[in-house]
Amino acid sequence: MGDFQINTQKLSEGVTSISIKGFLDAYTYSEFEQTINNLFNQKQYKLVVDMSNVDYISSAGAGVFIGAIGLAQENNGNIIIIRPKPGVKEVFDLLGLSQIFTITNNLESAIKTLTGK
Amino acid sequence: MGDDSRENTLRKQEPDKNKHHDRLTISSDLKLLYLVRQFVVNFMRQIALPADYENRIVLAVDEAVSNIIEHAYESKADGYIDIQITRDKKQISFSITDWGKPFNPNKVKKPDIAKSIKSGTKGGLGIFLMKQIMDEVKYTFKSGQNHLYLVKYLTL
Repeated sequence: MGDFQINTQKLSEGVTSISIKGFLDAYTYSEFEQTINNLFNQKQYKLVVDMSNVDYISSAGAGVFIGAIGLAQENNGNIIIIRPKPGVKEVFDLLGLSQIFTITNNLESAIKTLTGK
Repeated sequence: MGDDSRENTLRKQEPDKNKHHDRLTISSDLKLLYLVRQFVVNFMRQIALPADYENRIVLAVDEAVSNIIEHAYESKADGYIDIQITRDKKQISFSITDWGKPFNPNKVKKPDIAKSIKSGTKGGLGIFLMKQIMDEVKYTFKSGQNHLYLVKYLTL
């Protein structure tokens, strides 16, 4: 099994980026969920999730986004997804999440969306 | 008589070029899901199925097995799941058997994503995906076995 890794990095103006590497499935999703919960506990609600190194996502992984976006938005934040691979984007499409989440290939535009600048 | 039966046996052994079959049995452990996905990918590549089927079919089978582990075996790793794949001329089918608690995915309600976002919950997504991707989803519980039969029609 390939390594599963999550890294977080504070960017400017209260934006935090989360980079995920590997498979986001029913086995690994809880680590991602824990990372987001930790950030929410630190009042970090403006999140960019870099999916460029995610090879596969199942509903468990997508469910973390569904479970978290409401709380982020209630706290003047959001969750923006950047650079998903086609297979990962397809899962968001199948679940109807592509209309709910902002998905972009550009980090700068993700930060602009989050900060309104 | 002797010769006839030998001839029949030989005939049976002749491979059917339109039919392929493979089988995997795993423990009910979520950390083995990647093996299930690998098994399905390898099979589909062997039979040279177009790549656009691959992601969806792998996802549907992963969701089926994840749900069996979580619901039929209540996330305990001491059970077994048997997965058989058969590719016929017009379809690819998955016969998935487990010996856990009865769990009928056809009874799981379709998720309401907008409500899930409001409430922060996320149940039923995997079954929804599985049903959206597959053309047939049949479930039976018999002699202490859950049996799930998934079919995807191939339009090649």
